[in-house]
Amino acid sequence: MWVRWWILLIPPLVVGFTLVAASQFIFLRVSFFQDLGLGRIGDEVVIENYVRFLTDGFYLKILWVTVKTSALAALSTLILGFPVAYLIARMRSSWSMILLAGIVVSTFVTIVIKVYGLIVIFSADGLFNQTMLKLGLFDRPFSVFGNETGVVIGLMHFTLGFGVLLLYSIIQTIPSSLESAAQIHGASRWRVYYRVIFPLSLPGVTAMLLMVFNMCMGAFTSAALLGGGRVFTLPVMIQRIVMMDIKYSMGATIAAVLLFSVIVINVLSIYLLRRLRAAHLVMV
Amino acid sequence: MNISLYKIQKLIGRFLFGLYCSFSYVFLLSPILVVIGTSLNGPTKNVEASFKFPPESLSLYWYTQIPEGQIEALALSFALATVASLCGCLLGVPAALGLVRSNVPGKALISAIFRAPLQIPAIVTGIAFLQLFYWIGDVTGFYWHGTLVGLAIGHIFIATPYVVGTVTAILQRFDTRLEEAAVIHGATPRRAFFRVTLPVIMPGVYAGALYAFMVSFSDVPVAIFLSAPGFVTYPVEIFFALENDFEPSLMASATLVIITCLFLLLLVQKVIGLDTLLKVGGSRGAS
Repeated sequence: MWVRWWILLIPPLVVGFTLVAASQFIFLRVSFFQDLGLGRIGDEVVIENYVRFLTDGFYLKILWVTVKTSALAALSTLILGFPVAYLIARMRSSWSMILLAGIVVSTFVTIVIKVYGLIVIFSADGLFNQTMLKLGLFDRPFSVFGNETGVVIGLMHFTLGFGVLLLYSIIQTIPSSLESAAQIHGASRWRVYYRVIFPLSLPGVTAMLLMVFNMCMGAFTSAALLGGGRVFTLPVMIQRIVMMDIKYSMGATIAAVLLFSVIVINVLSIYLLRRLRAAHLVMV
Repeated sequence: MNISLYKIQKLIGRFLFGLYCSFSYVFLLSPILVVIGTSLNGPTKNVEASFKFPPESLSLYWYTQIPEGQIEALALSFALATVASLCGCLLGVPAALGLVRSNVPGKALISAIFRAPLQIPAIVTGIAFLQLFYWIGDVTGFYWHGTLVGLAIGHIFIATPYVVGTVTAILQRFDTRLEEAAVIHGATPRRAFFRVTLPVIMPGVYAGALYAFMVSFSDVPVAIFLSAPGFVTYPVEIFFALENDFEPSLMASATLVIITCLFLLLLVQKVIGLDTLLKVGGSRGAS
């Protein structure tokens, strides 16, 4: 109006840009130098680290495990989250607020605390395993630690709350009158889901899947704790290589690969969300 | 006959749907409830018995056994989250105002820079800041990692985008004619801003501050690199406790954190309402 608003942009922009550029530049630059061991870095520019990442089966397997667990976690988030989001979005009583509060609480409690709960639940003589053994569903106790199933469960604890909230805002944009119309004309409940809700929410769901997949790719805490030193994803490997092997170059190389893939997926999902927003298919 | 069959079918469908949804809730909330329940175990002879759920006897014994290290870590986390949240607002609110109100070229790029910390995996942010602090230390002689300043810079970095996001969301819906009306009626632009615009965007600021607080309060990957032995945040402290010794008192301090989260959420519900919190914060949930 009468104020030069752009002046307000300068301080945060300078701080933000400096922090992003300086930290990323100093860290990622290292990926083009050789590790000399004990944290020392060579002074010749090489691409050796990247070649090693792309040819060494060890690193490629970690990349594959990361992609696999992230994809599984994203799909499971959708499968477990969509009905809940639908229920809350279509509920007309004040219960919907309470159900939403339950979701928000679960996203606010740090994943480390939830892992403590998982330890108790899945301990060999804990509630879950005793019930399952008695029912004869399992023949030996199931552990969530040190296997890929556990990592997927951990990732879901990180993403499910967020996924439900996002799906909730997507479903809210589908007028419930469309469902009534289909039902009045004789469609069964299942057919309404399949022919009305599913196609209308498909673009939003795709965006949500991409965002959740991305969160999982970069997730450190849940993957590290539930992987239990046996399942490695890229973020866990970065931490181990830097903190235990003190190989900054290789760590930076893995980080660069992770960063690149995450940004590509992010740009894709932002582009998709923008298209959706323009078409009023999502309210984020 | 037909109608009652239809009704029964409908009821069964509803029941199955409800069952499915409650499974999701059990999945999400059971670890939290189990932590709270386990923390109420009484003193036992062997450590394993203290991790029984449901607890065999109710007592607050483990709450009196929380070691000093955990209390210090909790205090540090709380202070850090407060600093991150306040500084996040100081940086984020002007950023959002500038982004929405000004017409500088390259807005998409500027907003991408503000959003960058959300795009970078937190573990990369952590190591990158550690390296940056090493470099600054080598040049100036002041090493920032393992100090409150270093931790705060890292957390302000990851928390600010949430404030930018929530305030932008509110500003985009703000009707600028309200401001114009105030000025036409004789208010100075400054007065119009502080008496009209600011009250309208305050819910966005509160929501952003809460998200920022929560992001900092539950962060592990950044703090794990920027804290030092004897100077760790609570999530990092219990992260390492999982790998080493495993004490029942952890359940008690974790319960205190859960109660703090519940209390903050209740406060937000009173001040701005849960629906506002969700409406402005859709860009990405906390933690």
